[in-house]
Amino acid sequence: MLAAASLTKVFPQIDPNAKYTFGGSGALETEIEQGAPADVFAAASPKQPAALFARGLVDKPVEFATNTLVLIVPRSNPAHINSVTDITKPGVKLVICNATVPCGDYARTTFQNLGITAAAMSNVVSQTTDVTQTVAEVATGQADVGFVYLTDAKAAEGKVTVIRLPAGAKPGAKDYIAVVKSGKDQVAARTFVQTVLSPTGQTKLRAAGFGKP
Amino acid sequence: MKTPAFRLALPVAVTILITVVLAFLLLPIIALVTYQPVHDLLHGFGTKVATDAILVSLKTNLISFAVMITLGTPFGYVLARSRFRGRSLVITVVELPLVMPPAVAGLALLVAFGRFGLLGHTLNILGIDLAFTQAAVVIAILFVASPFYLRGAIAAFEALDPTLLDVAGTLGAGPVRRMLRVAVPLAAGGLGAAAAVGFARGLGEFGATILFAGSFQGTTQTLPLAVYSLFEANLDQAVAIGVLLIIVSAAILLTSKLIVRSWTSSPSTSPSPGDRSIFAPS
Repeated sequence: MLAAASLTKVFPQIDPNAKYTFGGSGALETEIEQGAPADVFAAASPKQPAALFARGLVDKPVEFATNTLVLIVPRSNPAHINSVTDITKPGVKLVICNATVPCGDYARTTFQNLGITAAAMSNVVSQTTDVTQTVAEVATGQADVGFVYLTDAKAAEGKVTVIRLPAGAKPGAKDYIAVVKSGKDQVAARTFVQTVLSPTGQTKLRAAGFGKP
Repeated sequence: MKTPAFRLALPVAVTILITVVLAFLLLPIIALVTYQPVHDLLHGFGTKVATDAILVSLKTNLISFAVMITLGTPFGYVLARSRFRGRSLVITVVELPLVMPPAVAGLALLVAFGRFGLLGHTLNILGIDLAFTQAAVVIAILFVASPFYLRGAIAAFEALDPTLLDVAGTLGAGPVRRMLRVAVPLAAGGLGAAAAVGFARGLGEFGATILFAGSFQGTTQTLPLAVYSLFEANLDQAVAIGVLLIIVSAAILLTSKLIVRSWTSSPSTSPSPGDRSIFAPS
């Protein structure tokens, strides 16, 4: 089971018996291309599963949840960030994911939607390979602000404060799941996908902060 | 009673053993080097992300190397020459980062020098913010790599014949002069080997750096961090930078062997830091 880092907490709740590897969706895509033994691939974006589907490596991907991109700041909010426009203030230490990871892709889309790409990118001090690293850099207070999913912000509750993005700026983050064709246990893989899509699985996803597909 | 078949069995087994071990160690390196056509490999060496990472790696490693040698040499000398209560405790402290997983080292640095760390407030008052700076990279490298040199330096100085230093003392050489003019030249083989191992370890440093300093192209993204970052984006380039790192590391190992060869008659392995064989007759 290869799954996006943003699913680290919720997937084991849906099926505690599966074996998981969590990471950036981009890195997981590379691993499947390189023949890593996996039965199911769950990504934080349609892009990586679609690319693998186009190459015939996975079955047709299915949308199973949506997510919300938000800003997080350390609880003490050292840079006094109160809205997304504050991230362009000089000297703000901003952390985003790499462009090849969905969370980084979505952050860049947000900058474009707001027309602040140049100013925001000049404040980026670190680019991570998955969303959990971005959360960690903000939660430890090294960074002033980071772009993550609402679900990750929930997981770091108490250490970070969430700032929501204006509706017009928010990119629609969609999570996709697909059965890996080379997987050894196709039946178990399909069962897992069905569990994620079932009312039980969806209830757990809602509880963790994910939206309806 | 040994049958001819039995006599043959041992050399065959030894040959198989050596082949298997060498193949296991070499195969991944061969796979990396032959992963893409030479033309693409050379192109990968010259990309902006690669050259940026080379510059960041060179700068941070040379600075930490200079600090490591400047402070580590007298430290190793003093520790080798003195006997006091708790000495083995001090040596354990020196060796601790060697056995610490790099990720733990990075975490430790974060909670010590990070903005919310133990010294974070003090550093903040002094106007120092290490977060995501090259200084943080240097600290991470220094913390992880310098114990290799310190341990090697202590062992190299301990291996010296103390009467030589005593003679130098009776001839009027002060302690600093004894160290610089007598001990350091005599221990140069061991010191050089230890320095090479320390430098190679620093060049490959990854875990502590990514946790403590983050990763940003041109500022904190060293060569190993670039490999990790490119893994998901461009495997060809990641492999090219990996090959580059292997070439540099191999060059450092070979250099250290040459240094030690000039001091010993039979260097068989890359010397463990402070190899006592520096006093073998040449």
